[in-house]
Amino acid sequence: MEATLKKNRIDLMKPFRKYWEKFYKRFADGSLGTKLSYFIFGAGNLYHKQIIKGLLFLVLQIAIILFMVLCPTINSTPYGYKALLNLPMKNVVEGGAFDPLTGEFSHGSNCKLIILFGFVTIAVIAIYFILWDKNIDSSFKADMDLKVGKKPTTFKEDLAELLDSKFHITMLTPTLIACLVFTVLPTVFMIALAFTTYNDPDMNELGTNLFHWNGIQNFISVFTGEGSLGVEIHNRFLPVLGWTFIWAVFATLTCYFGGIVLALLINKKGLKGKKLFRTIFILTIAIPQFISLLAVRNILGEYGPVNALLQNLGWISQPIGFLGLHPNDSESLAKVMVIIINMWVGIPYTMLMTSGILMNIPADLYEAAKVDGASTFKMFTKITLPYVIFITTPYLISSFIGNLNSFNSVFLLTGGGPTYIGYQAGGTDLLVTWLYKLTIDQGSYNTGAVIGIFTFLITATITLVTYRRSKAYNEEDTFQ
Amino acid sequence: MKKFISVLMVVLMACLLFGCGGGNGGSSKNKEIVVWVGEESADFYQEICNKYAEENELPYTITVKGMDTGAVAGTVTNDPSAAADIYTVAHDNIGKLASTQCAKPFTDEALIAQVLADNPASFQNVIYSTLDGKQYLYGVPYISQALFMYYNKEKVSEEQAQTFEGLREAAQAAGTKAITVTGDDGFNMSFALLATNVVDHSTTVKIFEGAEAVSGGSKGTSNCQGDDTVAVVRWLQDYAEDPNGFKWASSDGWDADLRNGGALAVIGGAWHYNTAKAALGESNLGIALIPTFTLTPKACEGLEGVKAGDTFRGGTFADCKVFMINAHSDADKYSALQDIVKYLSSKEVQNESYLNCLNVPAYVGASEYIKSCYDAGKLTESEYNLAAKQVEMAEWGIPQPFLTGSLNTYYYSKNAPAVFRAMIDKTAYPTTGDVLVEETESLEGVRKGLYLMEYLWMHGVNPDSFPEDLPKQA
Repeated sequence: MEATLKKNRIDLMKPFRKYWEKFYKRFADGSLGTKLSYFIFGAGNLYHKQIIKGLLFLVLQIAIILFMVLCPTINSTPYGYKALLNLPMKNVVEGGAFDPLTGEFSHGSNCKLIILFGFVTIAVIAIYFILWDKNIDSSFKADMDLKVGKKPTTFKEDLAELLDSKFHITMLTPTLIACLVFTVLPTVFMIALAFTTYNDPDMNELGTNLFHWNGIQNFISVFTGEGSLGVEIHNRFLPVLGWTFIWAVFATLTCYFGGIVLALLINKKGLKGKKLFRTIFILTIAIPQFISLLAVRNILGEYGPVNALLQNLGWISQPIGFLGLHPNDSESLAKVMVIIINMWVGIPYTMLMTSGILMNIPADLYEAAKVDGASTFKMFTKITLPYVIFITTPYLISSFIGNLNSFNSVFLLTGGGPTYIGYQAGGTDLLVTWLYKLTIDQGSYNTGAVIGIFTFLITATITLVTYRRSKAYNEEDTFQ
Repeated sequence: MKKFISVLMVVLMACLLFGCGGGNGGSSKNKEIVVWVGEESADFYQEICNKYAEENELPYTITVKGMDTGAVAGTVTNDPSAAADIYTVAHDNIGKLASTQCAKPFTDEALIAQVLADNPASFQNVIYSTLDGKQYLYGVPYISQALFMYYNKEKVSEEQAQTFEGLREAAQAAGTKAITVTGDDGFNMSFALLATNVVDHSTTVKIFEGAEAVSGGSKGTSNCQGDDTVAVVRWLQDYAEDPNGFKWASSDGWDADLRNGGALAVIGGAWHYNTAKAALGESNLGIALIPTFTLTPKACEGLEGVKAGDTFRGGTFADCKVFMINAHSDADKYSALQDIVKYLSSKEVQNESYLNCLNVPAYVGASEYIKSCYDAGKLTESEYNLAAKQVEMAEWGIPQPFLTGSLNTYYYSKNAPAVFRAMIDKTAYPTTGDVLVEETESLEGVRKGLYLMEYLWMHGVNPDSFPEDLPKQA
């Protein structure tokens, strides 16, 4: 226990201490070139006659300094130091002026650009410091090479190294850049919107996209019910969150155990046509999910075959609203139906995976158990199930998280219905479908961002806690 | 191999970056003018635009794209820079698009003169908005819209189609429901909200009367408190409860109701024509005015301003579709864009559009042209009826008023349509926070619901509380 605690304890100051040691050591032990490179990029490389490399560092330093000082401006919004000064929403251009003679029209406010350019500038500053560190590193490495009698590497050798021992850097760099530009920056931007009055109807009356920072007011409104969508968030957040969890638990467990049972049945010794059965069940994966779901929606519709059959049998006089598509339909029935229908699209995945695992369980385990007189049920509970659960725990967790964010099943089947009067979030809406309605239908990106952050915190916490407590993590090497 | 992979990675990254950067920019876009019209009219307008570009030696190519015009306003406001140079929306979006700086006003004097000369006053009142304190023309009408009724001629006689009571009689005989609607929003429910007294032509609900259709202008007044409004709601409650009365559209679509005999009639517009025809077949498709209904003693119980036997015709919003210019288009194109809109909204092109796509013209006196086409054998009976009944229904309707960007959308996106539906279904509805109005069957419940709707229209939010004495007006 103590060992586990020790293992899990994180020393937050350690990286800083390590970096300080490195910072001090390089300055103290480095050559004059290395010392100079603390102030002028590439000075150390130039000192060691690594001309191209040194000049590259220098050009980058000058470019970044010029970028910061000259503040290039796009659509009346500057980059550079001015972008940092504008970040608290200073110098906002409201836009909207029109010249009838020329047809020139100045567009909406530049609030979004101010945030975007501010973050880009911060990223550029971060890049500056990374380059600063790398340029010192490069010079210090040359110092060390000279100390052991080696020649500092040439630019050509450095390039060759990128295709050899540092090939991983070559491969990862484009991905990393794409990730930063297309994932990290938009994510940071959206998180920032959660702290603004974006889409405030009162401000939008004056001109589109005019907003300002409002601290954690949007988060507070979840609990107090204030603000433009405050009542909606206040009254519907907890019910939607609760249903999202219920849905995720049931959707995960039904598909998981349904898949295991199906796999056991299909893999049963002596069963003929195993491949045929497997193919039939896998067909649901081959057919696009939305087509399957829309087909089921039609089957259960007001004029669908199920209602027609029940009416013809005389069991019902009016069609049943299975999927909560009308406001008066039963919410509970709609919830049960989406969980059941989701099994149709979810079980084959687990079945497929479990089939593979079942085939890999060592046969001698069963033979030994048989010799000991174990029943089939006992063998299932003591060998098969623990083995399958051990291997599939990470899948189970990712499946649970996936279900928390499952969009298709609910949106395509019920559209979130039955609707709640006065609210966007209907009876079967999950956090993610609600998020869609708030952002796409209502344009409330700030409220959407708040809910997105809450969703992230919840899913991240659950993932970390459950995974770190699972056997698959703690006893990684035991089941081989 | 490693070198090859490295080069491949670099090329892919470069493609990705250039691909993202290229987008809508580039010189080709400056030579192109993109026009968005309704999906059903795209081919026709492309042909017309090609002819116009050729005749006028336009330095631009015109590309026409068919869009779901109900969704265009949302698409434009989401990303105006990616929207067309000229786009089509229903007129009630003008306020929203103008105030969010997605539209540029029209300034061409010849075009403005054409709009003033051709269009009825009701349309002229709703196509302006303000910018920098000045009033500008923002939308140019070219299609008129009003609701009317499609019905199953096989099951409903022409006489029965004149009244809701007649429809019920036909539904009783067929063992089904009389009528449905294509949606439960304010526009589609205007048959009840704007029910019009056949004697004095007054609508039951008064919506933004005296409002100035300009940004920041007066909201005018709205009134849902009349005894006639209450009586119509109570009449519809009973009609919906009747096993042969009104039903909401099926979750499979209103056309499924028509096709499967779930309802004998539907209240819809010209844009539903092809779907209705597909559901019933041309020979069974009847087109009529929205029928009249007569108030029952039960509906008038406890009310002074109305009496049993008073007759109302189902009402409609009488709207128009307009061309608007994207504020994000190049200023260089501004003059050409206005010329194109002037041409596309001319009487001649509107007439052609009707003959080719059944877009009912918006200009004054269009009914004469429609009649002449029918007499000349250019139209089938249902195609003629469609236009004739719409034009006739428009005389019973009013255009949807709008002021600023959000006032009209209060009705759509806030509680009002849902509250109205709850009242008709006699189910509970929340008012402020968690307070429920449960006695929707009672006179008090109906009055509270109507008060709530009126308050939502005027303020965009629920009232904090209901007044001690709910306002009662005859």
